[in-house]
Amino acid sequence: MNIPVDMTLSLVLLSVLFSFGSSRLPGLIKVLAFQGVVVSLVPLIIGHDMTGGGILFTLATLTIRGIVIPLCIHFAIKKVAIRREVEPIVGYHASVLAGLGLIVAAMAVSHRFNAPSISTSVLLLPTAISLLVAGMFLLMARRNAIAMVLGYIMMENGIYLVGTTFSVRALHIVEFGILLDVLAGVMIMAVILQNIKQTFDDVDTALLRTLKE
Amino acid sequence: MVEIVFLAPFVTGVIAFFLPRNLGRPLLVLTGTLHLLLSVLLWIRQPEPLFKSYFAVTPEGMLSLLVISLLFFLISIYTVAYLKVADIKSEHIFTGSMLLFLSTMTMVTLSDHIMVMWIAIEATTLASAPLIYTHRSSVSLEATWKYVLICSVGIAMALLGSVLITISMDVGKVDAPVSFSALTAVATRLDPMWLKAGFAFILVGYGTKMGLAPMHTWLPDAHSEAPSPASALLSGVLLNCAYLGIFKTNKIMLAAGLGDFSGPILMGFGLTSILAAGTFILKQTEYKRLLAYSSIENMGIIAFGTGVGGLGAYGAMLCLIHHSLIKSSLFLTSGNILLGYGSRQIEKTGNLVKRMPKTFVAFFGGFAAISGLPPFGIFIGELFVILGAFKAGHYIGVTVLVVSLCAIFAGFANQAMKISFNTSEATIGLTEKASLVWPQYVLLLTSLVLCFWIPDSLYQTIMNAVTIVSGGF
Repeated sequence: MNIPVDMTLSLVLLSVLFSFGSSRLPGLIKVLAFQGVVVSLVPLIIGHDMTGGGILFTLATLTIRGIVIPLCIHFAIKKVAIRREVEPIVGYHASVLAGLGLIVAAMAVSHRFNAPSISTSVLLLPTAISLLVAGMFLLMARRNAIAMVLGYIMMENGIYLVGTTFSVRALHIVEFGILLDVLAGVMIMAVILQNIKQTFDDVDTALLRTLKE
Repeated sequence: MVEIVFLAPFVTGVIAFFLPRNLGRPLLVLTGTLHLLLSVLLWIRQPEPLFKSYFAVTPEGMLSLLVISLLFFLISIYTVAYLKVADIKSEHIFTGSMLLFLSTMTMVTLSDHIMVMWIAIEATTLASAPLIYTHRSSVSLEATWKYVLICSVGIAMALLGSVLITISMDVGKVDAPVSFSALTAVATRLDPMWLKAGFAFILVGYGTKMGLAPMHTWLPDAHSEAPSPASALLSGVLLNCAYLGIFKTNKIMLAAGLGDFSGPILMGFGLTSILAAGTFILKQTEYKRLLAYSSIENMGIIAFGTGVGGLGAYGAMLCLIHHSLIKSSLFLTSGNILLGYGSRQIEKTGNLVKRMPKTFVAFFGGFAAISGLPPFGIFIGELFVILGAFKAGHYIGVTVLVVSLCAIFAGFANQAMKISFNTSEATIGLTEKASLVWPQYVLLLTSLVLCFWIPDSLYQTIMNAVTIVSGGF
């Protein structure tokens, strides 16, 4: 048991539920920013990484995941005055309920795995699984292209959480490379979003269906 | 200094973003030449990399690198001629992205660290996204969006898979560098459950990028919307890069004695891709999409062959090399057809044999080669895959494979005949300059020569690459 870590992780789980319930994009972006900050603090709280380089890297992660990426998307919205609804395919109440079910299922599933590095905290694996599936859910259950990008970011957060368990071994430069890739990816997506808005005057992905067989 | 091979195009790529068009085009060819020289030097000298924990010169990587380098060199010559006739607005972005794309793909072939491999493959997605959006139309925007989102999400799965493999090291109490070569050496001590999970995620992840069905939905759109030189690169070498990730992970699985797990999954994905491609090829109305689906089919054959192992793995390697050479040639040719007829619809074309005779030679030669007619390399590769599958006793799988190949051949031949011999009233808006057809000829000839005569060093490299997969047949 590791109480500070589990408390932090429960905040992440809470952010998943909030993201499922939020109908407006600015709110959703704020939830994601909060999630980014908390997720990047986890390795510091687990405490196996207290070297100077480790702290520097955590700060860099925090800046990118918690501030730069959300700001990127925030500006993408602001610049083109996109409609603020997330256009759900699955309704909000049903989504929150699904989110609760997901967290319970993730808890049940992760008891069956045992790995020494993961067992530092009870909630680590369930949270990571929840983030991954929740990201997938947002990708599929929202028609708004921006909500889809946010779903992708949530997935990345989940993978990062699994990754922190092995960051003892991984070199910071490699993790930093991964982070840069994600950042560049989100930036390119933001540019595409602006172009989509300019071309179609909306970011509803139902408009992006001309290419099919 | 192995790293210079991908650093050089990176630097020139960044420079190209700031150059006017009359300087950007020569820079493209210059970098292509330099890259080819460096790759050949690398092949002969086999030097040690500067950062040994991240990069390594492996036989399979070396093969892919040579293919990339040769292809890029020829494509760069074609591109210069293509850019003179095609109307591309922001050319500096196009040339810059082409060079960055080359740099990232080279990095994939040389990376040995699992995470560096992931970084490089994700970087190829990012570098090639602007290429697909070159035409600035609403459909190309849609194709780019699909490409970036589906591939990023897919490759995120591969990242998860890579993390799971590191967990398998943790559980198995293995203390080794997180690189493909080191992990293959200690594979038996890795925890099998986590390794299997890691492999599954990596296969789905890189499989998305490789165009395996059912994750292939982005591929026909991206390949048909990109300008032809970019399509040639996307189809000819990018798919190989993604395959390299799967191939190396499969190597770890085989070394760990888990071939019984990875083989059937690879074969399953392979057959699904071939079937999916076949369905869409039969009723295809656009020729660039036709070629794209044919790429999916070939990737299916390669995945199937890798899953079979033995002779099949050797066949898959042959298919991989020849598919790159032939398909990139076909995509370049499709660029000529598009410039000539001004439409991607098959029914708007016709009578290619009279209207564009030089292009016709390249097109028909490419069609014959890609359909697996003897004596071309794809035929030999497919033959080995089929023989290997028979030898291993996968009778149902091989029956499905052969039947689908026949159907695909019929569908492809039908469309190719329409393009070549149908009557057409269209006016051709293109003079067939030498540099618009010679690169295709050279690619096809290289493929043809490689069927009859493989240099010893090349043969040895192929054998080294597949030894562990084939177990020496």
